[in-house]
Amino acid sequence: MSARGALLRLEQLEVVYQKVVTAIQGVSLEVAEGQIVALLGSNGAGKTTTLRAITGFLGVDDARVTDGRVWFEGRSIENQPPQLVAHQGIAIVPERQKVFETLTVTENLEATVPGAGTTRAEQRRRVERVFEHFPRLHAARRRLAGYLSGGERQMLAIGAALLCTPRLLLVDELSQGLAPRIVENLLERLVELRKELGLTVLLVEQSAHVALQVADHGYILENGRVVLDGTPQRLREHKDVQEFYLGQAGGGERRSYRDVKQYRRSRRWYG
Amino acid sequence: MQTVANIAVLVAIYALIGSGYVLIYRVSRVLNLAQGELMMLVAYLLFSLATLFGGHPASALAGAVLLSLLVGLVLYVVLMRRMTGELVIAAVLVTIALGILLRGLMVLVWTGQMARPLEKLGWQNSPLALGHGVALSSVAVTTIFVAIAIYVGLFVFFRYTAWGVRMRAVGENPLLAAQRGIKLHVAYAMAWALATFSGGCAGMLLALDSGLDGTMAIIGLKAFPVVLVGGLDSLRGAIVGALIVASAEVLAIQLIDPLVSDVVPFVVLIAMLAVRPWGLFGTEEDIQRV
Repeated sequence: MSARGALLRLEQLEVVYQKVVTAIQGVSLEVAEGQIVALLGSNGAGKTTTLRAITGFLGVDDARVTDGRVWFEGRSIENQPPQLVAHQGIAIVPERQKVFETLTVTENLEATVPGAGTTRAEQRRRVERVFEHFPRLHAARRRLAGYLSGGERQMLAIGAALLCTPRLLLVDELSQGLAPRIVENLLERLVELRKELGLTVLLVEQSAHVALQVADHGYILENGRVVLDGTPQRLREHKDVQEFYLGQAGGGERRSYRDVKQYRRSRRWYG
Repeated sequence: MQTVANIAVLVAIYALIGSGYVLIYRVSRVLNLAQGELMMLVAYLLFSLATLFGGHPASALAGAVLLSLLVGLVLYVVLMRRMTGELVIAAVLVTIALGILLRGLMVLVWTGQMARPLEKLGWQNSPLALGHGVALSSVAVTTIFVAIAIYVGLFVFFRYTAWGVRMRAVGENPLLAAQRGIKLHVAYAMAWALATFSGGCAGMLLALDSGLDGTMAIIGLKAFPVVLVGGLDSLRGAIVGALIVASAEVLAIQLIDPLVSDVVPFVVLIAMLAVRPWGLFGTEEDIQRV
């Protein structure tokens, strides 16, 4: 994929919930350093499970990586506890409950900035940096995070994740429930941040429109498997992506992807 | 006026013990039902230290305060740490077992007889006239000031220090806190240390004022209604709860019969649970989760 090699690599990953339910099977993907990679899929495709497998949060739901590997910077990290994963430089912006609602915006950031090995002044500077990236947060810095709008919450969650000085940022459903203009804005900010901080981003999205705008590479996940991957260009040209994810019907009339989902898809991709 | 003064002293005691319940519950959702035994343990530790360093009351006191922090820390590291990730009810049961164990151990070590650390320290508990015919013992007056100091300290800690804010974050959403790289175990250990410290201060002051025997743990239990009335996860609630329960108790002693004093907190509790089960300042959803 890239000459620089992958920062994150999933190798034939399999996750089983409660020892019986297989959520993802044989998922392989690569995220090269400095790239924005999109992981697309509809509800229940296994996107969040894949993220949890990377961040070590499977244990909460009694799930385990039963097969395959998660490589981060050449070390295998599957089934490691979340704090350890966080300290190695993987930060996540979760889908729900992404901020501490009973804390103010500033407190949210202060709670996150690592205390060990830094001075108080340095910590304050890093919080200020987040405010520079997201001026709206500065205006709202004394408000409780529970009263923020969806867009502000998302900014705060990204800002807080940045304070962990991640090498890899995982974003779960950036666009969910947000107005298109705000999503555009957040995407621009992500692209800037990547340039500025040398960040690598794995964007997990239901909306292919959104993710393919900024991604360097995309994977499509269905029923726990990667069924298609490639550059945004290639994905956009693919008939099924157009039909099911971008809402453009191949033969003129628009169709709801639910009507034809199972049937058409299994024919083209597996058949 | 004397009644008001008596209420103030009892409020201070209850608020101190109550803060211990609140601290641990707020950060880890665990109800520490060994709080009464822990305050008694710290009081006995003070007694032993006073016996050892008879000539240096200040160092005995400082030693007991340090030990109170240490006891909480050790308890978390040795015992409660293993309960993280388990069901909350399991952790609560562990604290009940711990309380029973401690009570037994304390009888073994210190016997059940009345111990008077004040005499060992060589201090006098002379009554102070506060004007208007009101008099309180000097230890009782100290108790009020200690309670105020500890509460101011706790509020400052939770609002302005990094670890205070982190502990609130952990209390709200431990999962997110772990994702943000906050060390959960440090937050929990600090909650236990602080809870044993503030409860221990109440135990020591009670022991200095009126002596120490096996019944002290009951006072710890009586402070439990205080925090339930105020709301389990609110320090402010603990103060208000202490005010309500202490007033009811003192008034009942004066107007009805001293014998009913032990019952009053629980009567208040039942009344409260019927009307507002999550307490005055508590978060509604929290009780449903327990």
